Formats: sequence, structure tokens, C-alpha cells
Amino acid sequence: MVNSFDIIPKYWYNIIPDLPKPLPPPRDPQDAEFSRIDLLRKILPKEVLRQEFTIERFVKIPDEVRDRYINIGRPTPLIRARRLEEYLKTPARIYFKYEGATPTGSHKINTAIPQAYFAANEGVSHVTTETGAGQWGTAVALAASMYDLESTIFMVRVSYEHKPMRRTIMELYGAKVHASPTDLTEFGRKILKENSRHPGSLGIAMSEAIEYALENNYRYLVGSVLDVVILHQSIIGMESINQLEAIGEEPDTIIGCVGGGSNFGGFTYPFIGTKKGKKYIAVGSSEVPKFSKGKYEYDFPDSAGLLPLVKMITLGKDFIPPPIYSGGLRYHGVAPTLSLLVKEKVIEWREYTEEEIYNSAKIFMKTQGIIPAPESAHAIKAAIDEALEAKKTDDKKVILVNVSGHGLLDLSNYESMKNRVMKK
Amino acid sequence: MVAYMTLGYPNVNDFYEFVDNVEDFGVDILEIGIPPKYAKYDGPVIRKTYKIVSNNIRNYYEILHEVKERIKIPVVILTYLEEYVDKLGDFLLKLKESRVDGVLLPDLLIDYVDEYEKYVNLIKNEGIKTVLFTAPLMPDDLIIKASKLTDLFLYYGVRPTTGVVIPISIDSLINRIRTMVQSKLIVGFGLNSIEDIKKAMSVGADGIAVGTSLIEEVDKNGVNGALELIRKLRGVLDEYY
Ligand SMILES: Cc1ncc(COP(=O)(O)O)c(C=O)c1O
Repeated sequence: MVNSFDIIPKYWYNIIPDLPKPLPPPRDPQDAEFSRIDLLRKILPKEVLRQEFTIERFVKIPDEVRDRYINIGRPTPLIRARRLEEYLKTPARIYFKYEGATPTGSHKINTAIPQAYFAANEGVSHVTTETGAGQWGTAVALAASMYDLESTIFMVRVSYEHKPMRRTIMELYGAKVHASPTDLTEFGRKILKENSRHPGSLGIAMSEAIEYALENNYRYLVGSVLDVVILHQSIIGMESINQLEAIGEEPDTIIGCVGGGSNFGGFTYPFIGTKKGKKYIAVGSSEVPKFSKGKYEYDFPDSAGLLPLVKMITLGKDFIPPPIYSGGLRYHGVAPTLSLLVKEKVIEWREYTEEEIYNSAKIFMKTQGIIPAPESAHAIKAAIDEALEAKKTDDKKVILVNVSGHGLLDLSNYESMKNRVMKK
Repeated sequence: MVAYMTLGYPNVNDFYEFVDNVEDFGVDILEIGIPPKYAKYDGPVIRKTYKIVSNNIRNYYEILHEVKERIKIPVVILTYLEEYVDKLGDFLLKLKESRVDGVLLPDLLIDYVDEYEKYVNLIKNEGIKTVLFTAPLMPDDLIIKASKLTDLFLYYGVRPTTGVVIPISIDSLINRIRTMVQSKLIVGFGLNSIEDIKKAMSVGADGIAVGTSLIEEVDKNGVNGALELIRKLRGVLDEYY
């Protein structure tokens, strides 16, 4: 099959005007010495910031961006998980959207491309970002190279040392990758002075990336949480709607995993907005229990507190997850729109343990042959549970699940998960 | 045209001079900010004035009383409900005694959206007008409802905070609300370029509210600078009436 231009939507979908309640605006902390909202103007590309605050329901995808989407293999496949259905002996039909089919292995490229494009359009020559395990950094490195931008990636030192292959991929795409904390920024130097072998953290890497962008008048690209990122990720849901229509299916239950909320929001919001589907399930990790233990309050999106406060379900910006399987679900908060929809009970949530998702990932590997990203395995676990539930009542419902990435670069995580689960 | 000034800024004498002249320079409604502890939705410029004023002035209501002695145009108080939610009766009584016309609470439809009608009624029962604050992030049905409850005008804050000029599409933001509401529509928050103001007026705003840029003028060129800016903006608005 040749990539189909017809399936790829021309518009991103924005849920803001369709929310049941006003979305609390971002704000500066009480007695702030500087305005974080003002800071956004200096670090984000103009058009990215404009889209962050747009209320248009449908935002046109620039032709150049749509072209790049096609270039990276969009539309990504929507696959009926027949072998999984047979294995579970469920009457439900299970479909999964496979974002792992993109070159960088996850949905992150969907927002990296437009952000890099908008930066390049403004005459910016260089972009920065942070990365933990490397999914987001890889996506930025590729997107930057597409628009002949230079990129500097601040990679948390422990990952830099333990995930050298991720670093290699970023460097092959042309990025400069530094183990954070670095001596390139004031913040990094301060940390290094206290501890020259500091293992780093996402918060530190983020502060460094922002400071480096500010200092050099580069632009900073954002990986999740902000509304604009979910807007760009809505390509996943819009595409799925077209793909389902093409085969005459209507979904009942729609499922995704939640780190910051971008793949989940991008996947489900177009369905919620057009009133397709009956049940939406957001899946987090039991080890980062933000849905069950988090509070709905204003908090910083970044651990360093450089971005404006937003109202969200959060465990607090200083939350440190236990040292189990790593991955993109360790984030302390839930994107503001998603938090609001969970509060208003439009969206349900689940949380699963490492052991539960390991076993579900194994079933998915066995039946569909795909090694899912550990994050995505959470959504798969919920889909399996829903399918087994349907079996009890002989419900022939349609379950739609987003597999946000493949796990081929997370093999060391699977290795350590396996060891822990076996020990039990 | 709605002009905003923080109560007693930069000092009481200069503030009175500003008040005495605003009407002549073209202001229709004067909006006066009473400093809260936490100006949740204000930018750095207005936050700074709150700090200065709250350090220097003891009795806000005395000054408000004096303001009403000096001018005839309506005076609307801007402050945060959060600050007064536990002592609202007392606050409203004091506002009534100082004879101000209305009150605008930017957090009413955001942080108190589940019970805003209750507060609107409490305020109106005291004989004080309620100017409702709306923003692009509010759902359509809430904006429509608010436009029916509001007195004087509906305030539409087009940016997430005052005085920070986040890039936005003013025309599409205002187009959307103009087609939904019949009430008078005053647009504010980060409006300071002539180009933005012209755009806002040409797509159907009934007027604008300026604050941060007036304060910046006061800081740079004193009260006269601010008054001159009002005259200039008034000229721009008059092209649309
Ligand atoms: C494969 C994959 N899925 C999901 C996530 C979670 O992030 P978000 O909720 O922003 O989509 C990540 C984050 O790193 C990821 O790499």
C-alpha cells in the first residue's frame, strides 16, 4: 500500500471550545521574581505559542508539515489484533493504532515536526530540548535535521551512560547530545560544583535546555503536557477516525497510556469532540499513582519551576518515582485538559503495576509479534481487561487502543523487568 | 474606552490627578484595582503596582470614596474573589458605602464556576453592578450565559494574563464571541499595539480596556504621559464609532 494522502487529515483538532468547563489559565506563582508566562515568549517559536492559546476547533496543518508526515510513513497502520482476540477468546474486536511504525519509534515525532517547522520558518537556526530515556530527544533530532536546524539535546546523565544507542541515533541525525548536568549552562555548572558526578534528572536537563535556548536566542521544543502538543498529536485520532470510517467500524471503548497526556489526548480527543465512542480510558502506572493519589491543583509542569503554573492532577513537581522500570510514565502531572476531563468524569482511568504490564506485553508479543514500549503496554493491559470483561457478557464491542511506541530500544528495561518479575 | 489604574498608584496625589483628568481625555469607565495578596491572572507590571500600593496605603475605601467625589463616569473595582470569599458581605458593604458602581472579579467564572450565579446575585442584591470577566478558554455556553448576566459590559480577556503580549489571533478570538453575545463587549489583556486595537474594533468589539501600558507610561513619563496615551488611543477608537 502506498501512503495515502486521503487518510492523513488536513486539520488538527483542538478540544478547548468543547470542554465542559473553562480551562483554568496558566499563571505565575505568587511573589514571582520573574514572569514565567513572559518567558514563554522568549523560548517558544511564535506560532507554537499562538497555537497554545488558540480556541479554533480545527487548526490547519501546514502543507509542508503534512508532507513531512507522509514522508515519515503516516498514516501509521491501524491493525485489527485478530490473534490477540483469538488468544483471549473474546467476542470484542480489538484494533490498535501503531505509532511505533514511525522512524523514531513513537508518537513524539508528530509534534517535533511542526515545532521544528515553525522555528525554522521564523528564521531560528538552532533548537534545544531535554530527554530522559531518549524518545523525545530522538524525535527532535530527526525533526531538526528535516529543516536544516541544528539541535542540542540535554540528556539526563544516567540515561546518557546507560542508553548509548539512543545517543548514537540522535547523533546520526545530526544532534549534539550532552550528558546533563553540563558545564554549558549556569544551572548545570552550579549542580556540578555541588556534585561533579551528579546523575542528572529530567528537571535539571529541562532547565539547562531552556537556559541554553535563552542565552543563545535559540528556541526550545516542548515534548508533552502543553495544549499545543496535544493539538499536534491529534493527528493520531483524526487519522484513526478516517481509517475506521474506511472499514465501516465505530469504536466503543478507546484507550491510551498517560505520561504527560499527549499521546492519549491526541488519540482520544477527536473521538470525544465528535461524540464517537462511549468510554475513554486513560492508563497510568501504579508506581506513579497520579490518578489515584494526585491532587487537582496548580503546579509546575517542570521540576525546575521555569514554566508557568498550570492546574492539573499532580503528585507534585518534586515527586520521585521508585526506581523500577523506567519510561515516559514517570511524569508527575496530567495535562490540564485531560485533568479537567477526568475530574468531570468524561474520561475514566486505570493504574497498573509493573508486573501486570509485563505480562500483558508478553501476550501482545506472542500474539501480534510487536514488542510494545513499556508505556504502551499499560494501554494494552487495559484493552485486554476490557476484552475479557466483554467475554463475560458476550459483548461484541469495538476496542480501540493506541500503541504509542515500540520497545525495541527499551530492551534493557524489559531485561530488568523480567528479572524483577521472575524473582517474585 | 475603559482605563485601568491601580488604586493610589504611583502615589495618592498623582492618582487623584489621573482620576481628575481621565474623563476629559476620553475615558468612559474607570477601572480601579484593589491589591489582592495573589494577583493570579495579572502580569508582572500590574503585580508590581499592587506591591507598592499595599505597602504604602492603609485605607483603600477612603480613597475610593474620594474618587467618586471627583468624577462622574462609572467606577468599576477590579479585584479577586479569592481574597474576599470568606468576608464578601463586609466587602460589598464597604464598596457600597464608597459608592462605586460595579465590581469585576476575574477569577469568578474560572475558580468559582460551580457557584458563580450565587455570587452574582449577592453582589447585585447590594445594588452593585457585576461586570463579568470571560476568556477564550471558556466554553461557548458559559460565555453566552455570562453575557446575559453582566452589567455595563462583558469583559473579554484575550490573553492568559495582563500585559504579556503572547502572540494570538485577535480577529478569530473576537469573531467567535461576537457571533455569540449581544452585550457590549470590551476587550482587554495585553492589548497595547494600535494594530491589535484596530483589529479588535474592526471585528466587532465595542471598546477596549487598557491598563499595563498606562502604568508603563506613568512609570516613564508620569501621569501626563498616561493621559496622552489615553488621548491617542481614544483617537483610534473614534475611527470606529
Ligand atoms: C512510547 C511512549 N508512550 C507514551 C509516553 C508518554 O507520554 P505522553 O503521555 O506525553 O504521550 C512516552 C513518553 O516518553 C513514550 O515514549
